[in-house]
Amino acid sequence: MEQYNILGRIGEGAHGIVFKAKHIETGETVALKKVALRRLEDGIPNQALREIKALQEIEDNQHVVKLKDVFPHGTGFVLVFDFMLSDLSEVIRNSQRPLTPAQVKGYMMMLLKGVAFLHHNNIMHRDLKPANLLISSSGHLKIADFGLARLFSEEGERLYSHQVATRWYRAPELLYGARKYDEGVDLWAVGCIFGELLNSSPLFPGENDIEQLCCVLRVLGTPTQDSWPEIVELPDYNKITFKENPAIPLGEIVPDTSPQAVDLLYKFLVYPSKQRCSARQALLHPYFFSSPLPAHHSELPTPQRGGRPPRQRLQAPPADFSVDLPLQNSVVDPAVLQEHASCL
Amino acid sequence: MFHNSSQGKFWIFKSEDEVEQKRYKANQKVRNKIIESGKPGVSESKLLEHHEEDVLFRHYEKRMLDFCNAFKPVMPKSVVGTAIMYFRRFYLNNSIMEHHPRIIMLTCAYLSCKVDEFNVSSTQFVGNLLQETPAGQERVLEQILEYELLLIQQLKFHLVVHNPYRPMEGLLIDLKTRFPTLENPESLRKNADDFLTQAAMTDAGLLFPPSQIALTAILNSASRAGLSMESYLNECLGLKEDKETLSKMYESMSRMKTLKKYELPKAEEVNAYKKKLDRIHAEFSSSSNKRKRGYEEDGHVAKEARLTEEQEWTDEDLV
Repeated sequence: MEQYNILGRIGEGAHGIVFKAKHIETGETVALKKVALRRLEDGIPNQALREIKALQEIEDNQHVVKLKDVFPHGTGFVLVFDFMLSDLSEVIRNSQRPLTPAQVKGYMMMLLKGVAFLHHNNIMHRDLKPANLLISSSGHLKIADFGLARLFSEEGERLYSHQVATRWYRAPELLYGARKYDEGVDLWAVGCIFGELLNSSPLFPGENDIEQLCCVLRVLGTPTQDSWPEIVELPDYNKITFKENPAIPLGEIVPDTSPQAVDLLYKFLVYPSKQRCSARQALLHPYFFSSPLPAHHSELPTPQRGGRPPRQRLQAPPADFSVDLPLQNSVVDPAVLQEHASCL
Repeated sequence: MFHNSSQGKFWIFKSEDEVEQKRYKANQKVRNKIIESGKPGVSESKLLEHHEEDVLFRHYEKRMLDFCNAFKPVMPKSVVGTAIMYFRRFYLNNSIMEHHPRIIMLTCAYLSCKVDEFNVSSTQFVGNLLQETPAGQERVLEQILEYELLLIQQLKFHLVVHNPYRPMEGLLIDLKTRFPTLENPESLRKNADDFLTQAAMTDAGLLFPPSQIALTAILNSASRAGLSMESYLNECLGLKEDKETLSKMYESMSRMKTLKKYELPKAEEVNAYKKKLDRIHAEFSSSSNKRKRGYEEDGHVAKEARLTEEQEWTDEDLV
């Protein structure tokens, strides 16, 4: 702890206070998450263990927050992370005008890259939501808060808890009490976040679990055995029935959105988890390769922490394309595309 | 994935000697510390030698295994494997004279349950100490929670352990799908399982990647059944062209088989050393409570009371 100068308090996490600090030796600004062990009945909280477990075993990825160190301190221990300026919920809340299609695309691309990486490493995040997607000062999006993350494909028939994920982003199978589920729960959340980016407001803002299900059903239509064969096996299937109603076309839910965006949204927001488009697959969707191309991270807003109004920009936010701007402002960094070049 | 895991990076050692050397050093360090403390009555002969520690280490490791195997609800193998691995990692750099194995073994098992998402409540966990009264169980739980932080620190916060059980399942599936020459791969399971159980009680997990341990278990089981697996290695695992890897693998497999076999320590030895150990903890122990987990709200008084309880609590109360 002597290696750090505490600069201030960022907030309160699920299992402790988060401080902003400077590493004295390197001058790096970091976030310190203090896990204090008060007299807790079960000792070190599972959430802290999961976070260490998930983040320690994976290689660095641009779109996943990095656990730089863990060290004991006083009666507990401290997790050291990169310091991040903001998060996506603040970006959505504070942007003075709706995000441009290119910006939404830029965020979606970074989110999907991070999710693809996690799933490739057999990690389900289980709590994806805008507040857990941190935004760096350079505009990069990084997935954070692995307090619910789980390694999947473990042997045997282990049951999982269905009390995961923040309600608005919770997949329908979880709302029906599923105890066996897969990384599709993250892909559902990705769909919800996508919708929220397009609309600047949450897609399914249920006030309680039942209403949450209503919100989803109202849009996707009442599930039938045809549209969702596995539903009959879910624990809470028979506990509640809803009045039958047809699906509303997603184009009406996210108005003024390009057909390709709507098409991609459809690929995430489907009832059977196995039918949801994987993150890796989604990155190849024509949406990302058509005009306007995804915004470069330098074209994305970076509001200050703490809900203050976004920094005044000296110039208007860049348009998708303008002849007055230098060319590099309008085109995507070729390096970003390189990974996908083979499929073009 | 093993190749970039903390286990692969930090917890696989070059040789048995290196591992033994670490334990020897841990023993020396604590011996010196106790001698230097100059407590009344301290003498070299009252302390445990490295080989004496080893006897007790194996004794407690076996007790931990028994505790885990009798656990209700049934503890998955990977949880047990992880617990044993924690125990072995902990005592690479620590001496049983400083931290008593009867509480460390339970702390290892408890942490392993949590890390491996085998969700039992703390009350349920100590409820498996069948010989304990509810009050006794409560006391043990307090100690477990006190030691948890020390344990996780000594494990360098590396929590994920890769066990050989999954790779073994993978190999069996592979045999079934790609090696039709072998009629009944399932027949290899029993002996291979036994091999893994034995291997868990050796340093194999500190020396070899789990997939190699699993493969050795399969090959060992096959050779006992008089089945040849050479063409599986050559053709299916594609090692025909790669003589170097193949010979390296054979070498480590034969090393694995010659690892110090697990032998149940002799009862009279265990008893004699245990007396020594308990006296060391009662009279010379310097393990300061500060290093263990001190709960924030804990009053000073409560801590002292707990110390006496710790001395009263004997092994016989366990399991």
